[in-house]
Order: sequence, then C-alpha cells, then structure tokens
Amino acid sequence: MSIIFNKTLKTVIYFRHYSVLCKRLDNSPLLSCFAQSFIPVNRSLFWEKERKGGYRSQENVSYIEHMKNGYKELKVELKLFAKEMKEFLEADPLLIARPGETDLLWCFNEPTVLDNFVTTCDSDHNEGFSTCHFDMSPAGRANFHGYLDTRVPKDGRIKKAGYCAIRSKRVRKSFKRGSTYNWSLYNTLVLKVRGDGRSYLLNISCEGYYDITWNDIYHYVLYTRGGPYWQIAKIPFSKFVLGSKGRLQDRQSRMRFDKVTHFGVSCGDKINGPFNLEIEYVGDDVSTDYPKTVVFGNS
Amino acid sequence: MALKMLGNMLRTTRTTSSLVVTRWKSSNTEKKLTVYDPYVTKPQKNKETYLEVIRMFEGQDIRRRGHVEFIYASLARMKEFGVEKDLEVYKALVDVLPKGKFIPTNIFQAEFLHYPKQQQCAVDLLEQMEDNSVMPDSEMEEMLMNIFGRRGIPLRKFWRMMYWMPKFKNLSPWYLPEHLPNDTMELAMLAIQRITSVDPDTKISIWQTEEIEASLDKTWIVSAQSRMQQVLLEEQPPDEPLAIKGPYSVYLRDQVVTYFILLGKIRPEHKDDKDLDDVSNIEKPPGIPGFIGKTTLPAVKCTVHEQDDGTIVAVCATGTSSRDSLLSWIRLLEKYGNPVLSDIPVIFTLIAPPADIAIQETQPAVTDDKETTKS
Repeated sequence: MSIIFNKTLKTVIYFRHYSVLCKRLDNSPLLSCFAQSFIPVNRSLFWEKERKGGYRSQENVSYIEHMKNGYKELKVELKLFAKEMKEFLEADPLLIARPGETDLLWCFNEPTVLDNFVTTCDSDHNEGFSTCHFDMSPAGRANFHGYLDTRVPKDGRIKKAGYCAIRSKRVRKSFKRGSTYNWSLYNTLVLKVRGDGRSYLLNISCEGYYDITWNDIYHYVLYTRGGPYWQIAKIPFSKFVLGSKGRLQDRQSRMRFDKVTHFGVSCGDKINGPFNLEIEYVGDDVSTDYPKTVVFGNS
Repeated sequence: MALKMLGNMLRTTRTTSSLVVTRWKSSNTEKKLTVYDPYVTKPQKNKETYLEVIRMFEGQDIRRRGHVEFIYASLARMKEFGVEKDLEVYKALVDVLPKGKFIPTNIFQAEFLHYPKQQQCAVDLLEQMEDNSVMPDSEMEEMLMNIFGRRGIPLRKFWRMMYWMPKFKNLSPWYLPEHLPNDTMELAMLAIQRITSVDPDTKISIWQTEEIEASLDKTWIVSAQSRMQQVLLEEQPPDEPLAIKGPYSVYLRDQVVTYFILLGKIRPEHKDDKDLDDVSNIEKPPGIPGFIGKTTLPAVKCTVHEQDDGTIVAVCATGTSSRDSLLSWIRLLEKYGNPVLSDIPVIFTLIAPPADIAIQETQPAVTDDKETTKS
C-alpha cells in the first residue's frame, strides 16, 4: 500500500486540473490511483513546462537505477563517439546536391530502419479508439497501417478523436547530445509510397530552443492514388505550411532547413476505417524548378 | 449547493450538450430536471425539419433567451439530420444571434472580448464548418459583421478560413466530383480510373457476367487493361500460373471500393554480356545511316506495370467481389483480347473470404456511425 501511495503522490504533482471546480475531486489520492486515464496538462498560456506538453511517458527511476542504466549505455555511446570522430577525420562534408538525384534519408528495405520511428495514436493516451502499427509489408517495405476511428470516448473531456502518426526519433550525437538534420542543400522532399487513396499529412518539425518553437511543425498533404502501383511524390519545401499544435499560423515563415528535428507522417482524415500506407523511401532532392526561399503564404 | 449548480451550468455550456431547454420540475415530493429537446420530437430527420426547429426557436421568445445553448445543441445534432455539409443551415444558425448588440462600441470592449461566450459560440460554429469542409461565403461575412463588428474574433476566424480553405480545396491531383455517385458501379468506375491513371493508355470496360453462361453471380465487372498489359500477358510463360490477388480497398473520400488484381511473373532479367568498349568487331563504321549496337528495347522493368512483386496484367472491381464473379472476369478477359488465358492456370489468392462472410473489427465500444463499405 505504501508503494502505491508514494506513486500517487508523485503523479499528483504533475496533475493539472481541468476545472477549478473539480480540484478537490482530483486531489484525493484514492481517485487518482484508480483513474484509468492520465489527464494531461491542458493549456498554459505563457510558457510550456515540458516538450511533451504533459504527455509524460517516461517513468521516474531512482538515482541508483539511473546510474546503473547510464553505465550500461556507456559502451554504446563510446562506440558512437569513436564513429563520429572517425567520420570527422575521414569524410568530407557534402557541399553540392546533384539535381535530380535523390539522397535517401530512410530506405525501408530492412526491419532495423523501422526502429528509427515511433508510432502514436489516440488510444495510447485513452483519448480515442484508433490503432496503428508500423512494420514490414509482405513486399518488403515499411507499412504504416491501422484502423482510424473518430469515435470520441465519453469522458466529457475530449471533443475530437481519430489520429495515427509515425514520427522519426530525435536524431542525436553520442552521449545523448541532441542533433538536427541539415537539409539546407535540398529543396524537395521525395517519397516513394503506395497508399490506399486516403490523404495523409507529412510533418516536418523544427523544434528550437525556446518553448514557443517546440510545437512548430511544417505540414503538407500527401495525396495517395491508391492501387497496386507505386507513386513518387516530390514536394518542394516551399509548399509546407507552418502550424503550431495543429493550427495554421497567420504569419508563415521559412523552414529552418538546418534545424529539422523530426519527420513524420500522420493519418487523420476523419474517415473511419482501416488505412494502409506503404513507404519505400524518404529522401531529399534539389530541383531547379522550385524556388527555395518562397514561403507558402506569399507565393 | 449553489457551487454545485454553478458547476453543472458551467459543464453544460462547456461541452456541446444536447440539453436545449432545462427546467426544474417541482412536485410535492421531489425536484427533478426535465429536458425538452425539440430535435428529438421530430419524426423526420432532414433539412426542412431542422430549419423548422430553428425558426420555432426564433419565434417563441422575442429575447431569444438561451440562444448560445441552442446553437451548441443544434451543432451537436447536425449529423443526425444529415445537414453537416450544408452551408444554408449554418447560416440559419448564425442568424439566431441578435444583430448589433454584440458590436463593441469602445476600444476596451473591442480589446477585452466583448460578449465572450457568444463569440466563442460563433467560433465553434465556424470550426465545425471547417471540420466538415464547408466553405463560408461573403453573405456569412456580412452576417458575422452585423453581429460582432469587424473587431470580433469570429470575423478573424472567418478571414483565416477564407484565406486557407480555397488554397487547399482543389489540391488533390486526382479530381473527384463534389458529390460522389450513389451507384456502386459508377463508384467502382471512378476508383478503377483513379488506380489506372498511371497508364493513360488503359482501357476501362464494363462487362456483365451474364455473358458467361456458367456464371452463378449475375453482376457487373469493371475491368481495366492497357495494350501494354495485354502484351505483357501474352509474354507470360504458359506453365507458370497467374494469381488473382485481393481484395484490396481504395478510398474515394469516405467511400471504399474493393478491387482485385491479376498478377503475373516478372520477366527474367536481360543479361547483356557484350563489352561496349570492345572495338575488335565493328560491323558498320560510324557516320553511315542505320543502327550500331543493339536494337532491342531495354528489357528490365521498362513499363510501370512491372512492379517488384510481379507484373500487374489487369485490374478489376466486381459487384459482389465473390470468387465466382472473379472467375467470370477471367473468362471475359479471355473473350475480349486475351486468348492466352485459356492456357495459363490462374490461382486465387484472396486475403480474406470475400463478401459472403462479414468480418467485424473488435472494437472496445459500440460503433455509432454505420460503416460505408462498398464492394
């Protein structure tokens, strides 16, 4: 019992109450202990406390445990560091992108590439009933599939539901130093996909240092033809529109190509039913057809 | 008690509740809340009755008390009446709000959200329009302008919508008509057209299975094949079987069409051992008209139909998606321009049993909306 109590005390700290009137109700440790769903932080007007916006998925571990885990990872990190140093000494940086040649970011021809991505859907946080998976298809490519369900759980808190998404993990250097993709050589995103006629959303996040940039994502729609034929979608970066927390911004700005943190695809077209998107590769290209500097709103 | 009541009131306005009019019904023994909902009592759920309820609300009280609650309740009922994509209905709802009263008259009112609940209500209404991809028009702008003035938040929302929605409206490279046809065959036709748009040479034909005497299912077949695919089919090795794969589904907005493909083997890779730099045996010196080098076409995957997992030689959608209709499809293909099919065996590799058995997805709760699956 004491363990449970400790745990609840910890979680209570991170609770943000939906309504002031419900405060007393939520604070009682028994209720929060047996609550099925974790209520995330709803809105903070002036600053963001954490990058995940209240959706805390990591567990709190003790310092001893933390040190033990860190020691286990030391070997991997040192190996990574050695690789980085080798690359630094040997390899020359890429200075020119060749027009018409696609540089692949991810080529999903083997299962290990899928580990770079994480899936999210609304049922992960008890906020809906959609499910999704990201695995290898019978044709040997990555397959983002699942069931999109727009039913809203009747908890009186959620207004809309129905999304599934994949997102690349944050790229990093050794010893857990954050890093970013540098796409400043390119101006086009290239995907080879085979979809089912639905439209998907491509998301490129450019998280910055300050909290107002944490939710900046550049969006564009990926229309799929459907059917057994592969299609290559080439989308210039100038077409991407800036949104924050899913809301399009009035003042559009250019993507920071050298500070791209995540790439993702999401499905949320409000149509109930199974979806299926096969991806062969995601790459970057430079094309002379499109201007790079033009922002969507001004073009 | 007062706090509890306040809490109740706040909660009902926050969520889009279905309570339209609530009254305290008191009797001698107990007090309880009665709910009066004019939308429930309507026997026919269509646009006319929906508009009638709005007119009724406008007529019953000159002060239109509780109009915010009424709008929220009406918004929640739209899907039930099938009017969620109708601009006229949204306009009728906006018209419920009084004109002129909410326009701020000084800078403080304009800055500090004059009549916040009413403004939020109008924003939520516009948001619902956006979600249902209904584009407002300039009359809506006039109405909102008369209600909230040009400093109102709903106007800002409106202008944002009118900036972005036209930009995304016709973005899809595969055009679909505004109202999809109700007929399944026409829908299947659209879907097959969309799938086979990779090859502009594709010929789409509609056949009836009655042409084949042995067929059990009397239905239609929408079949697509290009001349290239006919050649590819002729070149298939006669001893290796073709495979019918499916059912796969393709979405046309919210409608699903099931299709099948006839899959052949990939052509063997062309091996060219000739050394291009070998100049010891040049037959014709350069400069003289004619071919030098090989005259055959590049052999490997020069057509779009040759995919990694096989060669797609035909695509179809049938009325019943049954095995028998697919068998008739093969026979019809054989009849119309593919005589090779009489010699080549065809295997049915269907993922799930077709249409005869319905498979229910196991979901944690009951489905509210009926699924629109067409085959």
